[in-house]
Parts: sequence; structure tokens; C-alpha cells
Amino acid sequence: MVSDSPSAAVPAISIENLRFQYGEKQVIHDVTLDIPSREITAFIGPSGCGKSTLLRCFNRINDRIPGARVTGGSIRVAGIDIARPDLDLQTLRRRVGMVFQKWNPFPKSIFDNVAYGLRIHGEKDRSALEERVEYCLRRVALWDDVKDRLKSSAFGLSGGQQQRLCIARTIATRPDIILMDEPCSALDPLSTLKIEELLLELKNDYTIVIVTHNLAQASRCSDKTAFFFLGKLIEHGPTTKIFTKPDQQQTESYVSGAFG
Amino acid sequence: MHSETPHILREFDQAFASLRNEVISMAGQARLNLERAMQGLLERDLEKCKAVVADDDEVDEAELRIDRIGMETLVRFHPVASDLRQVITSMKVASNLERISDHAVNIAKRARKMITRPACPEVPFIEPLYALADQQVRDALSAYTDRNAELGQSLQLRDKDLDKMHKRLIATFSARLEEGGPEAEDFLHLIFVARSLERIGDLAVNIGEDAVYLDSARDIRHEKHRAPAEEEAGE
Repeated sequence: MVSDSPSAAVPAISIENLRFQYGEKQVIHDVTLDIPSREITAFIGPSGCGKSTLLRCFNRINDRIPGARVTGGSIRVAGIDIARPDLDLQTLRRRVGMVFQKWNPFPKSIFDNVAYGLRIHGEKDRSALEERVEYCLRRVALWDDVKDRLKSSAFGLSGGQQQRLCIARTIATRPDIILMDEPCSALDPLSTLKIEELLLELKNDYTIVIVTHNLAQASRCSDKTAFFFLGKLIEHGPTTKIFTKPDQQQTESYVSGAFG
Repeated sequence: MHSETPHILREFDQAFASLRNEVISMAGQARLNLERAMQGLLERDLEKCKAVVADDDEVDEAELRIDRIGMETLVRFHPVASDLRQVITSMKVASNLERISDHAVNIAKRARKMITRPACPEVPFIEPLYALADQQVRDALSAYTDRNAELGQSLQLRDKDLDKMHKRLIATFSARLEEGGPEAEDFLHLIFVARSLERIGDLAVNIGEDAVYLDSARDIRHEKHRAPAEEEAGE
């Protein structure tokens, strides 16, 4: 995949009239949305509204699900249509990293977890690896906690630390975009705040799209918020506006806890 | 935009109902205090004046209750959008009502002093100013309870009429004050009463502005507002 370096003027992700089906069931209906570079965009909406499905379209990991397919429209990442037949999926997934709801470190050492993606992409130089691992662990505010036990198993870390390790592993391969699917839903409040602080720090260098059921988290962290309902994008705009004066009644009801 | 759809959490709705009822009740008490203060002045009724001073505590307590319910609602339910505006606005309206009641007390205290003196024939001059101020307060509270931004915004322009009437009265009373004589002290009291009524008009405008924010999320405070006639003259 070829792209220019991201700039604020060009959307990091441009979605146009996207439709998506699982088998015969259409779960995303004509969604059109631009996700700006170097900002945090939150996807909110009730369970089953299609927000996680849409997120998983951005790096095409839905391709792995039998019967799941895009049936219309397009997604452009840095201007490139990701449905192009000549697209290298490995490159796409390096550029569009993903962090999941449940932290999933590999059964390896802390060091090897962060170095994993770099090695896959051919990095063999030990000092380059060490430098990058330290940089990533510092970025996620984990370095001071683990610098003396880099060879220890990643499973020895707390839940919040393991999730930050997974974020370090994601940024190790220098993605442009980080997708996060409810990254804090299994964390305690303090660990959640540490991840949120990390997101705000990371957005200077990365475009972040976060799916969250935690409306307070969306209002605290994100610059833009998109509200989905029954597979449709109901409203999208600056987070402050969505949580203070949304245009749509459905949005107001949802963010106010008066949905029904 | 405001939805009548109940919240999933019923306690949220109960907290809102409680907040709204407290504000309505406080508004009733503040208006009653103003009415009795003016009746005390116009009818030389000492008991009504005393009642205003005594009942001001109830308004103060209502303000504290509304602030407490508001803070608890913010902490417990994290309201957003129009819900958040409802809480913030209710607390601000309560603060303005408390000040309206304070002005009613000021009027009652002035009236109490005037009652001990021979009746001043110019006292009824103040009645039209009171009528206008009271109408402003009533409309401001309607704008808040009905979430009526149009009515809330209209108070800004109508306050200019009240200001003009206030200026005329002050000029009249000041002239009589300068003349000296035994009634000079009464005119001094009437100037302060007129000043309180003018301030009550301003506080009603504040409530009207809060009602606009509540209904439409527009903050119209400090916006320049000119009457249509003035705009035409300026062109």
C-alpha cells in the first residue's frame, strides 16, 4: 500500500456508502463518514448497532469470518481503496493496528511481545530492536515498571499493564491508525484512566478510532463521536456537540440514557 | 431539543422531578415575598412587611436544597445534553430567585420605615414599575418551566421599557428629594424601592437567558440586543 504521510487535511479513513452483510443479514447500511487524522474518534451505540463490525472493516479482519462481506460502497485508508485486489493485507494491517477488548499478549517475554511485529517484518538488528522496544514501552508508560524484567513472561503483568503492552506491540510496527475495540471494558477505573491518558498522548502521532460503551470515556477522550443505531450512522460530529447539543433526537436520547 | 422519553434509570427522572419542583416552589415563594413587600408598601401593611423579612429564610433554604440536589444529580447520574442544561440552569435560576427575594426584603424594610411616617401621596407612582417587573418575573419563570426560548429571549428587549420607566421615576423622586421638606426621606426610600424593582427586572432577564440556554443551548448573555425601532433609527 502506498500513501503519503498523514496530514490533518486528508481524512485518515474515508468511508462512502458502506454496506456490509453477515450472510443474508445486512448489518451496516450506507454509512458515509470521514475519520480525521491525528484525532480520536469514538464509535458509540447500543450492542448490535454495527460499530465493531465497521471498525473491523478498516483493516479487513472481517474477511476471516465466513459469509461476512462488504456489499457496497468503499473504504479508503490514506486515500487507498482497501478493497483493491492488489492490496497487500499484511501491509494494511501493519498500517492499521488493532487493540482488542481483552488484552492478548503472546505467551512470550515482555520484550518479545513488543519485538514480535518488528521481527515478522524483517527487523533482525538487535540494537535496533532494543531501541524500538524501549521507545514503545516508554510511550505506553510501561518502561519504568518492566525495564528490569524484560525477559519475564508478559502474563506476569497486571491487566492494565498487559493492555498497555498490547498497545506498545501495536505501535511498534509504526502504524498510522490504531483501532481499539472496547480497550478498557475489562479494566479497573485507574487502569482505564491510564489507558485514556495514553490515548490522549498517542493521538499526536496516530489516528485513533475507539469503540466504547462507556459514554463518559467517549466524552473524556475523543475529539469526534459517531453514534450508530441498527447499522446506520445517526450522527457524527465534535464530541462536545454530541454530548451537549446533538442534532438528532435519537442521539440525545442515547447519550442521556433515555433510549427506548 | 428535549425528549419526554423517561430515562432508563428511574431515579434519574425522580431527581429531575425533585429539582424542577423545588425551583417552582422557590419561585412561588420569591414572587409571594415580592407581592407582599409591595402590598406592604402600597397598603401600609406592617404585618406583610414583617412576613417578607421572616420568610426570606425559606427562600435561602430552598436555594441550598436546589444546589444540593443539583450537585448530587451531577455526581450520581452524569447528565449530558439537555439533562445537563436542566441541572445547570435550575441552579442558576435558584440563585437569581434568591436575589429577587433579597430585593423583596429590601423593599419590605423600606416600607416598614415609611409606614411609621405620614402617608406619602407619591407612593402609588411606583405601582406601574412593579407591575412591569412582576410581569417580567412571571414570564421568565414560564420560559424556564415551559422551555420556551422565544419567551425567554423577549425579556431582554422588554427590560428596556422597564429601564426607561425606572429612569423617569428616579428623575421624579430625585427632583422632589432636592426640594427638601418633611417628605424628603420618603422619596429617598422610594428611589431605593425603584432601584430594587429595576434590579428584579434584570434578574428576570437572567432567568430568561437561562431559559433560552435550557431550551436551545444558545448562550445569549452579553449579546447586543437592540429594539427594532432602534435598529431602524441606526440604519
